[in-house]
Amino acid sequence: MSDYIRRLPVYLLLDCSGSMAGEPIEAVKQGLKTLLSELKGDPQALETAYLSIITFDSSARQICPLTELMLFKEPQISAGGATALGGALKVLADCIKNEVRVSTATQKGDWKPLVFLMTDGAPTDNLDEGIDALKRVSTGNIIACGAGANANANSLKKITNNVLMMNNLTAGDMAQFFAWVSSSIQVSSKSIDAKPGEAIQLPPPPQGFVIVP
Amino acid sequence: MRSGEVISAVLENGANIEFVFDANAPRGGMKHTFFTPDRKYAVQFFNEPKDARNPLLQDRIRTITGIYNPTVSEADGGAIGNTEKTAEYFRQRFCWPVAIVKYPEFGIVCPTYPQNFFFGSDASTVLNLKGKDKKSNWFTGRNRKYLTTAERGDFRTMLGTAISLCRSIRRMHQAGLAHSDLSCNNVLIDPRTGSAVVIDIDSLVVPNKYAPEVVGTRGYIAPEVLSTMGLDFGDPNRALPCVQTDLHALPVLIYEYLFCRHPLIGPKIYSKASAEEDDFLALGSMATFIENPNDTSNRPPDLKITINSLSKGLEKLFLRAFVDGLHNPSERPTAMEWERELLRAWDKLVPCANPNCEKKWFILRDDNNTVCPFCGKKASDRTIILSFKREMPGKKGVYRDKGEAAVFDRMPLFDWHIFSNVHNDEKADPQMRAYVAFHNGMWLLVNSGAEGMMSPSGRLVPKGSAVELKDRAVFRMSAKENGLLCEVTVNNC
Repeated sequence: MSDYIRRLPVYLLLDCSGSMAGEPIEAVKQGLKTLLSELKGDPQALETAYLSIITFDSSARQICPLTELMLFKEPQISAGGATALGGALKVLADCIKNEVRVSTATQKGDWKPLVFLMTDGAPTDNLDEGIDALKRVSTGNIIACGAGANANANSLKKITNNVLMMNNLTAGDMAQFFAWVSSSIQVSSKSIDAKPGEAIQLPPPPQGFVIVP
Repeated sequence: MRSGEVISAVLENGANIEFVFDANAPRGGMKHTFFTPDRKYAVQFFNEPKDARNPLLQDRIRTITGIYNPTVSEADGGAIGNTEKTAEYFRQRFCWPVAIVKYPEFGIVCPTYPQNFFFGSDASTVLNLKGKDKKSNWFTGRNRKYLTTAERGDFRTMLGTAISLCRSIRRMHQAGLAHSDLSCNNVLIDPRTGSAVVIDIDSLVVPNKYAPEVVGTRGYIAPEVLSTMGLDFGDPNRALPCVQTDLHALPVLIYEYLFCRHPLIGPKIYSKASAEEDDFLALGSMATFIENPNDTSNRPPDLKITINSLSKGLEKLFLRAFVDGLHNPSERPTAMEWERELLRAWDKLVPCANPNCEKKWFILRDDNNTVCPFCGKKASDRTIILSFKREMPGKKGVYRDKGEAAVFDRMPLFDWHIFSNVHNDEKADPQMRAYVAFHNGMWLLVNSGAEGMMSPSGRLVPKGSAVELKDRAVFRMSAKENGLLCEVTVNNC
């Protein structure tokens, strides 16, 4: 029998600019590995979550299309270039438009996508263009995480109300960030207490992370 | 505190317990969990300090740990009427809180669940599941395909799992307790052995105690609870978790075990506004059973195995639960009714003749039809049915039906097949008393421990001897008091 499981689309937007070179980018790779293995161990996440990765440096691109976890292949990522955050948001808007199934009279739509954005610097391109593009598609929670001393909380605040700052770009902090992303996806895939139109309650962020009010 | 640090906690009874601190402790909606160094117990604390300090919540949990506790005998401060034997029985089926922590803060101590509810290293060849909990949706949804065949069990063990769960819930409801959040996350199952363990007992609804503020888990929340969850907690129109809402979640789980699909999730579109809105209606105010005979709007077009493939009794209960009772909670069958009907079905299980049949067993719905509903293969040309009858007290020679069993080679029989006053429940002795054997072309009922078994001609059948199961043979399973009469019917089909 066909199943009627709704998909939970999850987009990860990862900064791969030059400043991420070295330990930070290695920590991102490790974090992705852990994220995938954690999610594959959770039956609800495994059944519903679909994952996509968009990276940005001097430009932005979707390096992994929205894929179910069992078929997801870890991407090759490397660091170099500037911080095209605006471009990344435009790519995200296009991907959501193309990949996320909308509810219609004849089609069961996907859950609202969940977006995690991680950046260590200020945008070097036109952020507002990206924000405008994103406004034209429907998303659920967008969580932006600024990593390290050079991240710009103000520009992230323009994208979403949910902004976290992590003080350091250490491997340990990055691991905590991915662990938190994983538990957020697990909570969302259970969508407990999800009343229509209400944002899903995510778990409290890890220690040492500051929520920007 | 560092991960790995051992912390000493003080229990309300004055004893000490140690647990290992873990910065990434598993965190549920209400609590987070640490383990004792030997991992025999879980020590749980509330996420919200206001919960931990709430005297009403504390009082409710004290009651659950004490006088409502079916895993402790009455003599040791547990539930009234509980013997050590029934306490031991339910210790295998519940992770019931056993003690309360008072220092460093209010918390709960629960035994960890038995080892067979954790995956072993051979559970899957494509996923690393070793050590993970056997949440039931590993076995009932699309994830099933990632498990090895042995891990998935078969129809018989899934039916056994359902019986095990019903018995636990019936025991809770008997005491007036409602679980309030029965779901695939809070019932772990082991289809290899056909058993279930109910966990997260601390959100129980206790009679006359402050109710826990839980709603439940998507897919298991009763429609009336979901559709009124926008109202205030104190609003009289708001439906809160109770025994009747458990009686929605329970058949959802049973249905999932037996059919590996959800009873309400089908193709029907309830709202084109958004997935969230559609889901809210699909599981709430407009929920429609995918097998509703009067409304096929939510019926998947390719539905093959249905409730018509079960016993007629189970079919009726599912219709009551998901058609009559879906939006009318008082119509829902009780846990006791489910337990009784599942046990009847258990006694009508027969093995499929197809060695490649995934389900391996099916319920003999019609004594004259032995075609396996799962694979379509005919099992045999005949069925042998044992009808058990009990003599009415004070009316010699007047008999009433006590149940039926479909015979297969090496079928075991127990006290409840022999005595009218024994039921297949937590109090019964699980020792086999007789078994069926196909031997030299004859179907035999071999006495392996039933006292006073009589042959059709009225001779004593001692242990080690047998009665031949011929059409219309009638004999006493035991000549002792309350011994049942057995009538044999052989159907050629």
